[in-house]
Amino acid sequence: MSQDNLFPKETNFSPENEIPGIRAKIIGIGGAGLSLVDGLRFDNFQSVEHLAVDVDSRALADSIAGEKLAFGRRHTRGMGTGGEHTLARKAMEEEKDVIRKKLEGVDLVFLLAGLGGGTGGGAAPVIARLAREAGALVFAFTPLPFSWEKSRHSMAEECLADLRKFANAVIPLPNDSLLQMGGADATALECFAEAGRNVSMGISAICALVFRRGMIDVDFVHLRKAFNRRAGRTLFGYGEGDGEDAIRQAVRELLLCPMLHLPDVSKAADALLILITGGTGMGMAALQQVSTEIREEFKAGEHIVFGAHVDENMGNRVQITVLGATDLEAGIPTADVAPTAKEVIAVLPKSKVAHSSKLAKEKKGSKLKTVPAQPRNKKKDDLDQNTFEFMEAENQRGIFGDLPSRNIYAGEDLDVPAYLRRGVKISI
Amino acid sequence: MSKIIGAVEIGTSKAKALIGEVAENGTLNVVGMASRPNEGMRKGEIVDFRKAAAAVHSALEDAEKMSGTTVDEVYLAQTGSHLKGQMLRGSASVSSSDNRVDVTDLQRAAEEAKRRKPDDGRTYVHHVRTPILLDGRVVQDPVGMFGSKIDLGYWSIDGDDQAIKQALHVISNYSLEVKDLILSSIASSTMMAGPDLRRAGTLVIDMGAGVTDFALYRQGFVACTGVIPVGGDHVTGDLSMGLRVLEPYAEKLKIEHGKAISDPMDEGEDVWIIGNKTIGDRSIPRKAITDVIHVRIAELFEILSKELEGLLDPDELKGGILLTGGASLLPGVEQIASKILGFNARRASFPTGIDSELAQPENATVLGLLHYGLEDHGLPGRKKEEVETGFLGKFRKIVGLGVQS
Repeated sequence: MSQDNLFPKETNFSPENEIPGIRAKIIGIGGAGLSLVDGLRFDNFQSVEHLAVDVDSRALADSIAGEKLAFGRRHTRGMGTGGEHTLARKAMEEEKDVIRKKLEGVDLVFLLAGLGGGTGGGAAPVIARLAREAGALVFAFTPLPFSWEKSRHSMAEECLADLRKFANAVIPLPNDSLLQMGGADATALECFAEAGRNVSMGISAICALVFRRGMIDVDFVHLRKAFNRRAGRTLFGYGEGDGEDAIRQAVRELLLCPMLHLPDVSKAADALLILITGGTGMGMAALQQVSTEIREEFKAGEHIVFGAHVDENMGNRVQITVLGATDLEAGIPTADVAPTAKEVIAVLPKSKVAHSSKLAKEKKGSKLKTVPAQPRNKKKDDLDQNTFEFMEAENQRGIFGDLPSRNIYAGEDLDVPAYLRRGVKISI
Repeated sequence: MSKIIGAVEIGTSKAKALIGEVAENGTLNVVGMASRPNEGMRKGEIVDFRKAAAAVHSALEDAEKMSGTTVDEVYLAQTGSHLKGQMLRGSASVSSSDNRVDVTDLQRAAEEAKRRKPDDGRTYVHHVRTPILLDGRVVQDPVGMFGSKIDLGYWSIDGDDQAIKQALHVISNYSLEVKDLILSSIASSTMMAGPDLRRAGTLVIDMGAGVTDFALYRQGFVACTGVIPVGGDHVTGDLSMGLRVLEPYAEKLKIEHGKAISDPMDEGEDVWIIGNKTIGDRSIPRKAITDVIHVRIAELFEILSKELEGLLDPDELKGGILLTGGASLLPGVEQIASKILGFNARRASFPTGIDSELAQPENATVLGLLHYGLEDHGLPGRKKEEVETGFLGKFRKIVGLGVQS
């Protein structure tokens, strides 16, 4: 399927030199997921298919996705779940075989699902699990309800935790933060549109990485290696620049991206994907500098996937997309056949101190192990340790997210910035 | 002979130690004071024992060095959201045949009030006595008066065993005894609100780095205390996220440019994050800083107002609201507090006679510890020591400290 003719102008990539063989599927689940899928604007990748999944057959009929799947008819008679995610989960489990069939031969799955609702929250974890079982790499983009929608919000968090068990990377998009997007006088709708655009950029970046040949090329295997573990915290950011100083401007915008400043996001990434897309004039020296800067900003460890693509249509514009994952749960074995984070690290050459996880508490153990292994590089080792310590402190003090218990008062987590919870827009 | 006493506050941003010398005539001189940044604490609770202990120990060491003496026992401030307060009441009928109140009547009433055991895993931190009623009238010292029934109450604060044990161990690791645990909010209000204010009724809000402690006084006695796990660190965290700057820069912006209420003079003005205008430095509108802080501080007072619902009575709060603690230094907090709580709020000032170096809002708690420790909080007619072994003795048994002779 292809929808070339629908959105011919918005594309950044031309369909020639697309690498065949790898199949990706974008799956929108539930109301929010469907509207995100419909909002995507890069539909001319030959091997990217769209699948819309919902219990609400009317909403499904309105969707422009190429493939549609209605489920749970027996339970809801074609209407919504009314926020019952257990119902959606049950219904989805019953349709396991249908989904398995849809996932056959797919290497890369993007799940778009709003977790505040019943369908998205209930079905997304199930689909993520099935996709992982089928051997696909799963990235999930999940809008979360406002924190003042208290019961929905706590339900969404449960679903998020569930989804994290199965997806390789889960990018939460809290509505609280989405309101911070755009200019000072942007309306709520514009903010959501902007957020949708960023999601579409993120997916587009990953697809471009996998399907196109670039100036600095990485392929699916790299991506798989970097993200082949269970997702801890995930960070996702997007920046764009134009004109002479485009690349700097893009970096600046990236670092200001509200989605990188969520309470749940730690800016230290164990796995990091950086994709820079620019016009023909993009300079190599600038690229290198930017990549160093971004690496430093995110204190990235071993698993960096860096890609640069040139697109004639970009002119002077430069886009930077960053996707990172922090392996929070290094100790917990993964649910499927994928190697655990520790196994992945063990396989890698130990040129630097391995960051098993920047947030994991058992760092002392790994320190002890690495020091005797490289007695000659002692100086370099010390340096690395210092940055490690610095980072550790940074993580702890910046945000309260590392504390084991949440600071709940009347259903709200007081550690989450007040301006986010109260929907006060801060223009900087 | 003069007596040396110490006070320790394990605060979220700093550990503070204070050494005082009590002269024979009862006057207190601060002879040693030190504070150390504490990285082992978050929101008023110890998360890294070794870091917290190291900070406390080095503060104690410095304070001892400065004073040229050593201390054997200290008063320790206790805070954290695990603390819960409740009012315990007891009563006794006057037993003597001539209806004259005897000390034993008071003791019976006190015993009855304290009879209620805390839940499993919790320990009483502090019993604060509330007024004694003799046949329904408030009396200072009923011993020797005529009447038939004594009523008294204790505002009793209990906390999580583990959290309290940890704090005590920080001190015992330095080979010191904890003479008494004192609630942070009560310590700081002892310092900031004089007896006349407490009698008139006042609310003291101690805005620390990790938590905000409050104590409400009525008729000179504690009516309610509480801890809200929001403090200056939250302001910094919010700024860090809202302005997308690293935490140290957020802290710097908060201290240098932070305001809790918008100032028309700042409209359109920008400030630099690092200040040296090098690469990576950028400017942000002052308004953004103020907006972030305003929402957080306003929310804090809204929570306070919810917690104190029904307790803020104009007739019982003639002393108004006093703000202290490091975070109260933010310009504009007093306006927000006045507006949201509906009473005149102002920054508390230290009583005269305190060294200007010490008289900082962030020192209110640790100074208050010494002053509270010196005051007599026992029942009328009883010696101070007797009362202490009453509830602290129980503590020592629980936490395994030797009973003090």
